[in-house]
Amino acid sequence: MPLLRLTAGTFGQLRTFATSSALGKRVKTFAIYRWNPDEPDKKPHTENFEVDLDDCAPMVLDALLKIKNEMDPTLTFRRSCREGVCGSCAMNIDGINTLACISHIDQNLSKPSKIYPLPHMYVVKDLVPDLTNFYRQYQSIEPWLQRDKEAVKGAETQLLQDVEDRAKLDGLYECVLCACCSTSCPSYWWNGDKYLGPAVLMQAYRWIIDSRDEATAKRLSKLKDTYSVYRCHTIMNCTRTCPKGLNPGRAIAQIKTLLSGIVKKQDPIMDPAGLEKQTAQN
Amino acid sequence: MAFSMFLRTPACTSRLLSQHVTRLGAQPALKPVNTERTIATINSLKNSLLKSETTPIMNSVRSFRTSVVRLSGEKAHDHSKLWVVERFTSVLLVPLIPIALIAPNKVLDSLMAILITAHSFWGLEAIAVDYVRASIFGPVIPKIAIGLVYLISIATLGGLFYVITHDIGIANSVRQLWSIKSGQKA
Repeated sequence: MPLLRLTAGTFGQLRTFATSSALGKRVKTFAIYRWNPDEPDKKPHTENFEVDLDDCAPMVLDALLKIKNEMDPTLTFRRSCREGVCGSCAMNIDGINTLACISHIDQNLSKPSKIYPLPHMYVVKDLVPDLTNFYRQYQSIEPWLQRDKEAVKGAETQLLQDVEDRAKLDGLYECVLCACCSTSCPSYWWNGDKYLGPAVLMQAYRWIIDSRDEATAKRLSKLKDTYSVYRCHTIMNCTRTCPKGLNPGRAIAQIKTLLSGIVKKQDPIMDPAGLEKQTAQN
Repeated sequence: MAFSMFLRTPACTSRLLSQHVTRLGAQPALKPVNTERTIATINSLKNSLLKSETTPIMNSVRSFRTSVVRLSGEKAHDHSKLWVVERFTSVLLVPLIPIALIAPNKVLDSLMAILITAHSFWGLEAIAVDYVRASIFGPVIPKIAIGLVYLISIATLGGLFYVITHDIGIANSVRQLWSIKSGQKA
């Protein structure tokens, strides 16, 4: 009996194999959001493209490139690294904000794959969202290392950081600012002008807890108003959607505890200016 | 998430309070980034701590009163202390409601009435702020919405206290839901 089942399985596999090769094609439909600013009287719509999956690499970005190369060169989207480290190709694929380059094409041929730009953003063209506000917000948190005493040009010394302190940045520095999390956050949809959103807040936290950074108090005092952080209602869409598997929701919660004063930033284990002091002594 | 984060922090109330006062004391000196704690400031903190223990809560209440001004976008307010009070209210309600129902009395009823009203007020306020925005509804309707939230909250508090003072109390009213049914069967 088990043997029979085994053979049945084999035959079953063979049969499906045979039919698909008989048809010759595994055609998948992609329903892609289209809007062209040069045709203002034409409303945004979805356009269907049919792609033979046997003649296409496995990722959604591959399908998009195939469509652009072979079917419609006017299809517009951002892409660069094609391996999930640049964050350019962030888009909404089958209802989930993710990077097209690291998400597999859904192999279910009966349903079309729906591809939209990041939700609740102004659209520049087709799948390209306007990220001006997002970048401006990122700029507002001053995402660079700040020391009380600026390094003298030409005489910079290395700042010291303990391994344990460095480990605090893990899960934060990997963010590629693709804006998948921020554009999945309802609070960011409703108050994106004043609420900073998960991506920017996670980077704010990344600089707040850096043991070498000395602007912690200034950074925190900039965030304590009603909107910047506190519009986060721990919906956690950000963590759920992050294509890099990071947890912006946790970072925001940490900012809140730091702001409340219940938790304080720990002193650096290793004096960041240790090397500088040593050279001054010698 | 935030709730569990809060529970995890190993801070007893007295330490928390002193930290609060520390922040309060440090506030005027906050503008220069480094607030160095000299003995003088510590002494003044001790004084303020001894004077009144309710200072941090009073301060939060004050900022919550001015939230309409805050919404008009004139000034950035410090929301961090209010956040702590919100969390405390939520955490307190968890044990308070069952205790108040088990042992009905006016003190627990009043405390429950105040905390439930405050808790629902912040919830409703968040809904109004999130969804009834000036960018969609214009400058007037959001203010009306916030006004409605205040009105509902005041009415709720008034109603609950009416039940406490002129009737059998909140806990007993809830318990009556069961006694009616058993009375009918008998």
